[in-house]
Amino acid sequence: MRHLSLFLLCLAACTHALHSYEVGVTDWHKPLAGVPLVQSHSTAPVFHRRRYEDGQTSSVVLTATQSNVLAAIHSANGSIAWRHIFDDDDHIIGFKRDTDIVVALSGPGGANFRVFDSNSGHLLLERRLHDLAAGRLQEPESLGTSVGFGAEEKEKDIYVLTNGHTLRRLDRHTGEVRWGWTAPDQTSSVLYSKIFVTLSTVYLLGLSKSFASYTLHVTSLSPDGGVVVYSGNVPSSIKTGFSQAFVLSDVSAPDTVPRVVWFEDGKIKSLELAPELTAKPATVKGAAYKTIEDVGLSEYGQFVAIAENGSGRVIKLTPEGLKVIWEYSDSATSPTRTGSIYSGGLDVDGHPYIARVFWAHSLKTMSAHVFASHLAEGKGLVTGYTFPFKTGEHGIIRHVAVEAANPEHYRVLARLAVTTTTGAVQMWQKDQLQWTREEGLADIRVAELVELPERKIALHLDSEHETFGARVARQLLDAQDFPQYAVNFVRRFVTGSYTSVSTPVVAPTNASEPLSRDAFGFRKVIVAATPYGKIYGIDSANGDVLWSRVFGLGWAAQVGGQIIPAKLFVTRTVNDGESPQVVLVTQRKASNGLVDTVLFHVDALTGEDARRQSPSNDLLQGEDAVSGPLVEAFLLPTDAGRAVVLLDEFLQVHLYPNSDEVKAAFAAVAPSLRIPLRSGPPGQRRLTGHQVPSEVEFTGLHIAYPTWSLPFPTGEDIFAVFARPTDPVASLGKVLGNRTTLYKYLNPNLVGVVTGPPSTAPLSEKATCGVYLLDGAKGTIIYHAILPSVGGRCDVKATLVENWLVYHYYDPEVVVNQAKGYRVVSVELYEGRGVDDKRKSSDMSSLSNATTDVSVYEQAYVFPRGIRTITPTSTSYGISVKDIIVANENGQIQSFPRRFLDPRRPKHKPTTEEAEEWLIQYDPVIPDDPKRVLSHHYQVAKTQKIVTSPALLESTSLVFAHGLDLFFTRIAPSNTFDVLSESFNKPQLVVTIAGLAFAIVVVKPIVARKKLRERWYD
Amino acid sequence: MRIPLALLALTSSCFSALALDLKGRIQWNEHCEGLGELGQTKVVLDNGRLHGGVTQDGTFVIPEVPAGTYVLSVLAHDHAFEQLRVDIFETETLPEVRPYFPGTPLNPPSTITLPYPITLTARGKHDYFVPRESFNVLAMFKNPMMMLMLGAGVLVLLTPMMMKNMDPEVMEEFKERHAKMSGAQSALQSGDLMGGFSQLLSAANEEAKGATSVAAKGPSALGAKQRGGKNKKR
Repeated sequence: MRHLSLFLLCLAACTHALHSYEVGVTDWHKPLAGVPLVQSHSTAPVFHRRRYEDGQTSSVVLTATQSNVLAAIHSANGSIAWRHIFDDDDHIIGFKRDTDIVVALSGPGGANFRVFDSNSGHLLLERRLHDLAAGRLQEPESLGTSVGFGAEEKEKDIYVLTNGHTLRRLDRHTGEVRWGWTAPDQTSSVLYSKIFVTLSTVYLLGLSKSFASYTLHVTSLSPDGGVVVYSGNVPSSIKTGFSQAFVLSDVSAPDTVPRVVWFEDGKIKSLELAPELTAKPATVKGAAYKTIEDVGLSEYGQFVAIAENGSGRVIKLTPEGLKVIWEYSDSATSPTRTGSIYSGGLDVDGHPYIARVFWAHSLKTMSAHVFASHLAEGKGLVTGYTFPFKTGEHGIIRHVAVEAANPEHYRVLARLAVTTTTGAVQMWQKDQLQWTREEGLADIRVAELVELPERKIALHLDSEHETFGARVARQLLDAQDFPQYAVNFVRRFVTGSYTSVSTPVVAPTNASEPLSRDAFGFRKVIVAATPYGKIYGIDSANGDVLWSRVFGLGWAAQVGGQIIPAKLFVTRTVNDGESPQVVLVTQRKASNGLVDTVLFHVDALTGEDARRQSPSNDLLQGEDAVSGPLVEAFLLPTDAGRAVVLLDEFLQVHLYPNSDEVKAAFAAVAPSLRIPLRSGPPGQRRLTGHQVPSEVEFTGLHIAYPTWSLPFPTGEDIFAVFARPTDPVASLGKVLGNRTTLYKYLNPNLVGVVTGPPSTAPLSEKATCGVYLLDGAKGTIIYHAILPSVGGRCDVKATLVENWLVYHYYDPEVVVNQAKGYRVVSVELYEGRGVDDKRKSSDMSSLSNATTDVSVYEQAYVFPRGIRTITPTSTSYGISVKDIIVANENGQIQSFPRRFLDPRRPKHKPTTEEAEEWLIQYDPVIPDDPKRVLSHHYQVAKTQKIVTSPALLESTSLVFAHGLDLFFTRIAPSNTFDVLSESFNKPQLVVTIAGLAFAIVVVKPIVARKKLRERWYD
Repeated sequence: MRIPLALLALTSSCFSALALDLKGRIQWNEHCEGLGELGQTKVVLDNGRLHGGVTQDGTFVIPEVPAGTYVLSVLAHDHAFEQLRVDIFETETLPEVRPYFPGTPLNPPSTITLPYPITLTARGKHDYFVPRESFNVLAMFKNPMMMLMLGAGVLVLLTPMMMKNMDPEVMEEFKERHAKMSGAQSALQSGDLMGGFSQLLSAANEEAKGATSVAAKGPSALGAKQRGGKNKKR
């Protein structure tokens, strides 16, 4: 054992780093943008045509997303043209594009103003418009902010309305404020939300709250100096706010007077916008309406009104007023189709188009009707078609953005960018699917790597009873592959092209073959679930989605709801003989407020329902395991296979699968279970230990009872509870240089807790954060550290593996030596009071007093930068050294070797004994080595979690990071000691041997001649 | 109703009258030629709660920084930048900027002060990869071990030829010396240190003597030997 560990340490000493040829072979990176924010026009996807200097144009889809990213996606191929990642606390409120720039407002009340180049995505300007604390939070967030561009031909200035009452005119290039205007009566109920700019006047539209509805308020200012020309209410009563009030103008007919349009009591009213606002409101004559929709064409004088019967009408601004120019046929509400989504878009020449998209129940397809008002001699032309949208795979369409082309007269080619409920973004060119982006993967909640089965090479059926002839025939059949095999063998022997650790794991085989693992077990299936109601199987070899299933809502389908994944367990692995299966534990939040715990049990290779309840091309229906929220869930290996144990809020124990065998097996192990759970109201948080009796209650369920309770100080709330991974531990002790042994403290009930001030408490400098290690069986504190908070906020990341705890925090210390910075603390726990004090902690009774006999070694280091998450590597037998992998705030996945984090690094020059253990002298700073950046050039943004999983090779650990992006690689913390080294040079060996053979051939006759001569002459 | 610009600025920053907008720029250099290469980059103070984005011309502004001592760092993905210590005062004076090395105490501050607005340059581009060790015959033969081996091989091939052409007397002497040396070597190897040493010493002595004696004997002896050798061969 000792020699082995020495050997491994020796290997670890030689730095392992990436080779450039491994890029894209052993790793992959899927940059994502996130699910588009479709609730508001200011954030929803929109086509933008970029013009280059050489006159070429190309189209991108601009969108702000739920992951707080502003992104431009190429319409042609679906790749990301550029993206700008906003901070988590700096929400994008909206963006507005002009020809070559995109302006984005973010933060409370639109505090942060940024301008981007629409072609490159480069940040051109960044400005803080008002103090963050002064920002007014509105619901929805986009209320009270708006961006407008000047009406000039070129060099348009940017008008920005923030906080509902401040308007600024900013220079397009420098961001300099030309003038600013703040509403004099900020306390009044007028909340401005829209800007409309003409050459002579800047109009601000606001709503002032009156008794039961809102009244439209218009303020007009001069664009040169921001002098108010007029300010007053428009007699109106708007019920729904700004979704049904907007300004119509027509860029193609600049002489037409713009109008403000709003919806009031079933009528569409409009008012001519003139600086003094002298006109009287007019009403659109004709039918009664249900609602009006701004489809993004208000600058082109068009919008859609929905009549009482549900049919959609296009209304256009004309010099005479508003006029209905089109009514979509068959658009009235009908049981044969869903309601329609209307969306407006442009073509290259700037002509407006309005698309109506709906699902036809009878045809089971999506239909699109695209209206072009300028075609057919101005009478308008509708092009209708259906497109085969897969609703079973992508849910329901929530938003449509449209772009059209008019290649010849009477022919309209529409492109639809579709956002669905499962988070997919699709591009349809007429009825052809161009590309799909699974943006739901930007918010993976749980992910697990599942091992693949070996490839079945030969099937020997019934070999006992086959006749001689049949056997000869079979063997001949088998032998037909022999020449190929022989050729392969010779080639392999000569060229040395063995499977090496850096070869791609997917051989170019046919896709029909079932999934199988590669030689070293690098290929696995990543099963991942998102809160957009979808579970994915991802090939770890290249990141492709192998299968995906959409969750059915069960009874909640009637009222609607959301399924939020909580935990994912691998209940059957390939070692159990059959295809692997996973169980996903979710919380279903129905729209009526009821929360249930639902389980989904699927085959990890195909995504088939393992309960055989739902057909493979339909929704995946789950099992309602608990009618109520979940408190805790864990996987329990029993004699009857792995069982999922669920605890509901009454501490009743539910089992899945709920068979009699599992019940009996659970009853047998129940008394030995120790379950620590969080309890208590905020501010009085405690960790309470629970046990489960072996007898069931009258309900037929076990009910856990509390056995101990550990209250935390009043200022501490539990942020995270973490446990050691269930990986095997190869050695129980560590042999030191002086031939003594430190025995690792491996109490199986050890849990870690991170605490900090409750989120409800006011921020205070005095607040502290805490890291605890507890004995989860009886609540004894084994290790505790109090850490400083940063202005009352805690950001402590911790991980526990074997007997090793590593935590990271920011130290704002300014007292002793003023060395503020990030710290990482490495703590190791060993049994007893020192060396050679063996207590057998790994299989000690939880009642033993010896569980508290621990000696702690710890050391703090200065860490180069902040991190988002931290995790240890994981290998199949736990022999390899454990490295620490972090996702740092630079968007890198970086590994830190254990040697640097060893808490036993001596403060002096290592003695021979210490050198024998490969300990290096303590240095407070952990080096920031770019060679250990696993993600190299990839920008792996907003990583939430890193999942590590063992490969078949003991040396190698698979690393999967998810957050905004997906990133997968593998790492060998102790180098690949179990395969021939990558740098092993077979040609050199062959050349050397060939050279020696040649030398023998040459020298042999010479020597023979010499010997002969010696015989003669000596 | 129009409010002057200054007043607007005042109202927007009324919450933190002592706060300052920290300004600076990133000077493009050969390591980093522009924002396209740098990518989306933030300049942060301390743990990143106060930060500013780098714009296309390299400038950045960290808005509303209260008085205090901060460590400024650049969060760039592919480029290395130095850290700075920035002191912001409650008075109207400009911030003080000093170099800072991570892990060192902030006090006492460095005596070097840098100009404000801050100017930062990329110190280098991260190299994430190690080069592959490929097979190269030339490189293989450049290896000193290889060169030694080659040299030895050449010697092995050349010695018989040299021996052949060598003067018989010199040859004789060489053989003698060689025998002594190998004797000493074997003695040393067998552990007889003293014996080995004495043999070496005597060999050295005799060498000196031999050299003089050869010179004294003159050409006659040499010629006789040569003749003898020739006779033997025939």
